[in-house]
Amino acid sequence: MEPVYDVVIIGGGMAGLMAAIRLGRVGKHVAIVSRGDPIVCLSTGCIDVLACGGNPLEAVGELPKTHPYRLLSTEFMVEALNDFLSAMAEEGLPYVGSPFENRKVLTPLGAGKTTCLIPQTMAHSTVSSDTRLHVVTFAGLKDFYPGYILSRLPTSEYSVFDAGPCSTLSLATRFERRDFLESFLSWLKGADITADKIALPAVLGWRKALEIKAVIEGELKRPLFEIPTLPPSVAGMRLHRALVRKALKLGVQLYKGRSVSTVEKAGRLVEAVTIEAPGRPIRVNGQAFILSTGSFVGGGLASSRAGVEEVVFHLPVYYPPDRTSWFGERFFPPEHPIEDAGIIVDKEFRPQGVEIDNLFVAGSILAYARVLRYGCGHGLAIVSGEAAASSCLKYLQASAEGYACSRTV
Amino acid sequence: MFQNCIRCTICVENCPVFAVNPLFPGPKQAGPDAQRFRLDGEEVVDDWVKYCSQCRRCQTACPYGVDCADIILRAQMRHEELKSLPRQMFARVHALGEVASFLSPLVNFFSGKSWVLRLLNKAGVSTAVPFPSYQFWTLERSWKHPGILTGRRERKVALFYGCFMNFNRPDVGRTIRNLLSYLGYEVVIPPQTCCGLPALGNYDEELASRYAKKNVRYLSPYVDAGYDILYTCTSCGLTLTHDYPSLLKVEGGKKIAENTYYLYDYLLSTLAEKDLASLSGALKLKVAYHIPCHLKALGIGYPLVELLHRLPDLELSIHDEHCCGLAGSYGFKAENERTSLLIGERAAQGIKESRADVLISDCGACRMQLKHLTGLDALDPAEIIARALLAKGVRLSFPQLLFRSHPSEA
Repeated sequence: MEPVYDVVIIGGGMAGLMAAIRLGRVGKHVAIVSRGDPIVCLSTGCIDVLACGGNPLEAVGELPKTHPYRLLSTEFMVEALNDFLSAMAEEGLPYVGSPFENRKVLTPLGAGKTTCLIPQTMAHSTVSSDTRLHVVTFAGLKDFYPGYILSRLPTSEYSVFDAGPCSTLSLATRFERRDFLESFLSWLKGADITADKIALPAVLGWRKALEIKAVIEGELKRPLFEIPTLPPSVAGMRLHRALVRKALKLGVQLYKGRSVSTVEKAGRLVEAVTIEAPGRPIRVNGQAFILSTGSFVGGGLASSRAGVEEVVFHLPVYYPPDRTSWFGERFFPPEHPIEDAGIIVDKEFRPQGVEIDNLFVAGSILAYARVLRYGCGHGLAIVSGEAAASSCLKYLQASAEGYACSRTV
Repeated sequence: MFQNCIRCTICVENCPVFAVNPLFPGPKQAGPDAQRFRLDGEEVVDDWVKYCSQCRRCQTACPYGVDCADIILRAQMRHEELKSLPRQMFARVHALGEVASFLSPLVNFFSGKSWVLRLLNKAGVSTAVPFPSYQFWTLERSWKHPGILTGRRERKVALFYGCFMNFNRPDVGRTIRNLLSYLGYEVVIPPQTCCGLPALGNYDEELASRYAKKNVRYLSPYVDAGYDILYTCTSCGLTLTHDYPSLLKVEGGKKIAENTYYLYDYLLSTLAEKDLASLSGALKLKVAYHIPCHLKALGIGYPLVELLHRLPDLELSIHDEHCCGLAGSYGFKAENERTSLLIGERAAQGIKESRADVLISDCGACRMQLKHLTGLDALDPAEIIARALLAKGVRLSFPQLLFRSHPSEA
């Protein structure tokens, strides 16, 4: 007896985890196969839905017709994003913001990044050029220079806490220890801060970050917020861990650190994937499958001289045919046609160009997503993950009822 | 494959040592980065590789297939000067166990004495976590195996129990034997020795190879006779299935790896639903399950979670975010004591917050550390299953009156 799951998800990033959570919530038996930890661990922890205009959901209408967002209704997108918000609130990582409103968070470069839903520790992160900001940094913290912020916000000031040799991870770990927090607080109180707000790199602990933020705000009597950092990114790790916790609680099985070596198909159905494990490969059987392995960086797509390939199911991939047209003239703004590369799907998020009924695709591996260009990475992952999951549910129900699954192309 | 590294830092994010010990530059630098220089045969200057505990979280997390932990392990074994006395001792925990179990009343008496602890501290051994007590009636000694049985049953399994279960918790070994027999398997205990992980973790490749060769020689005939090898310790399992064929490249290691299964994964995949149904009992308990790093590294999922989900009244919380910090003998070395405890406190914090009645973990070392840091009773998963069966009137664990009972059961 080999494990048989209702749904097997290949790719444990944002899209795969959100799909797993949606399926787990309705009692489905789900497995996630992932080659390693996803890119979400390196992210800012903020959810960019669409970095255009004031209302990202309104701006979706202005996207090209081919963009995967255009396959979904606004209602569905709102529902998916709200699902995410409630999952995070349940896991002790509450987010603020509304899917109908973009906002700016301060980056380590002092610029404002357009995003939509943000962790509560960054709630006060919107600043204007006349905000008097007090930036706190740590001696020896290599990846965070307040000078960048000060050059853009000239009315700001900064101070440096000497915590000895440190990294973002070790600081976050130490902030959870009372003695460290107390010594930091007494130092901070001695700094005579008169600024409107206090900003710190995102190192205020792990599960206790909100508590720690409240303690410091209470003592200093002014709002405080975190600035997301370069990797290792505590804010990104908090998000990933909260998603995994939620999935585990819902009974999702995780096969980690291994890639898929073979795929077994019978007629129009994928029946199983085989994953490499020490000693002996493991065969994971499923009724339905979701592919959410990401794009080039995530490892779902690979490019070679012969072209661009999808590495697990070898699905047909769209990519700009002429190699010389892959890249734009300049690096910024990110306007590179190769960003269009990916899997073209139908309304049910089934891959086009192959005859498979029980496979659905989600996340940045979708063609025409242009995640960097449009600023829609996590948002697309959440809504397409949920969309693939709900198509899965429809498929499972239909096949349980014995109907031939009608295919919309 | 260090060339696959794109320097994304996901390994560093997963390194428990990096998060608490600033002296360790993290798996990216200690692994793929430094490997470029090591390959040139340059003089070794990176003695900070000793801070790596070989939990292998970096390797499990790497999305690009870089074997960071293996790279670091090979680098660790290059450092002759790191092969200090406590390391040489811990590399031989099997031999120590043989002696300690034979002299168990003496050893258990003296291992609690403060002057003994001071002496050990002087020798570079940490005594922060209490030593496990040794049992005279080890599995090896008390269980005369009948040898290879041919043609009697379909389900034949050979148990690879590991040093900890053999010397310190033979009662758990007996429970597992009873559980397997109850479920209709024919269980034998093949002759065996230490898997070799303690030798690897203490940088003695030659000794590890010797252990590996011995085990391959012992286990091979059982595989040939149709037995499946079952391991109960996830670290032993990782060594048998991963290190034997790939790192140590032992002849015949591949055959062993291909026929070796994790006990609970095996139960899940070979038992029919009706067998599993017999496991569901009225066990009202809040259980915190600490996932050992080496179970993660095996990449076989969390089979116990599936099993325990079938015990309806058991409230399970899963803790896989943190390493326990002990990492076999890592935390027992005085130079690692602080790092080990700081890592362990992070794991213990989450477990304490779950307000569980009892803690379980597949790994004996994790249980030792977390029992100490949480104050909770730490059980082997087999003990929980035995309790569930007991509630249904099936007795698997017997107060071993013939043997010395374990102090934690007193």
